[in-house]
Amino acid sequence: MSIHKSTREMLLSVVDDMEIISKELIENITAAKHLKLSTSDHSILIELLINKDKELKSFLTKAEEQAKINQKMETLKAEVHAQDQEIQQLQKQLKEAEQILATSIFQARQKLQSIAKANKRPVPSEELIKYAHRISASNAVCAPLSWQQGDPRRPYPTDIEMRVGCLGRLSDLPLNGQMVGPHSNITDLHRPSGQQTETIPPQVGGPFAWHPSGEIHMSVTGQGTVPINTHKQETEDVEVMSTDSSSSSSSDSQ
Amino acid sequence: MDVEIISQEEPANPQFTVADLDIEILPVIYDILRSIEKDPHDSQKAKESADTSQKILELKSKLESARAQINKLPGIEYSKQEQLQKLETLRQQLRLKKELIQKYRNMCTFDSQKV
Repeated sequence: MSIHKSTREMLLSVVDDMEIISKELIENITAAKHLKLSTSDHSILIELLINKDKELKSFLTKAEEQAKINQKMETLKAEVHAQDQEIQQLQKQLKEAEQILATSIFQARQKLQSIAKANKRPVPSEELIKYAHRISASNAVCAPLSWQQGDPRRPYPTDIEMRVGCLGRLSDLPLNGQMVGPHSNITDLHRPSGQQTETIPPQVGGPFAWHPSGEIHMSVTGQGTVPINTHKQETEDVEVMSTDSSSSSSSDSQ
Repeated sequence: MDVEIISQEEPANPQFTVADLDIEILPVIYDILRSIEKDPHDSQKAKESADTSQKILELKSKLESARAQINKLPGIEYSKQEQLQKLETLRQQLRLKKELIQKYRNMCTFDSQKV
């Protein structure tokens, strides 16, 4: 019984018992003679009262011990609380570290993916160099040394490239003298080239248009195109360009 | 040692202890019984009975104060066995928490293969 009942309950019940016994005793003494209990019963009651007092004392000793245990528990609780705080702090730090690591792992995975992608379709260095030559060939200051007539390579931007560029847009303007301020075309520079090539029909290539034959046709409004013989001049240009040995163009190596 | 430190640290909340208790009931009962059992003279009877009823009231208040004092006693919400069990649980909890902290502190080694 004492296992399930708290010490406080036990103490209070002992006090209750003592109250009842004392009440009984007092009533017995004050009662009329014929109603009085026998002496033996009386002494039993007194003995019971004394036993209850002893019980009370033993419970009080127990309570004293329990108070000490309680203090120990309080100490432990305080310590547990301190540990809880520390654990929370550590968990917070770990979470931060996890977040940082997750970000770097994500970035690293992205890099690994791009590496794998690059490994899947490797570009040989020669091809890269070739491409570089192509760029330099069309943007160089002079033609390659080995350039000959009929060579499709050009030391200047080709017609398609021109059309894609800003100058190609300028030539789209109508020829009837309506001049638009140069500033209006600046915004066109930022247009994506792909969009421009789509919007410009190949027929309206400006007053001069390249044809696969290499001839320049000048378009005159209402009269179709007028072919211009540029062969002689081109040859001369080539000669001038090829003699320019001081040029630092990388196309020399071709 | 720890207990002493704690009790010194909390002077604002002094705890009621068993030593502070004043619940001696037997002497009061003895006094009452003795005063009734006396065979008083008729002239004294009235005075004695007044004295006795005073003592009975005293006993009642003593019992009430005993109950109040018992209710103030700390740490007797449980039986001793339960309390010891709870103490053990707390110790266990503290040990586990210390282990956890130790674990967290020693976690700085990373397995590069897992990453």
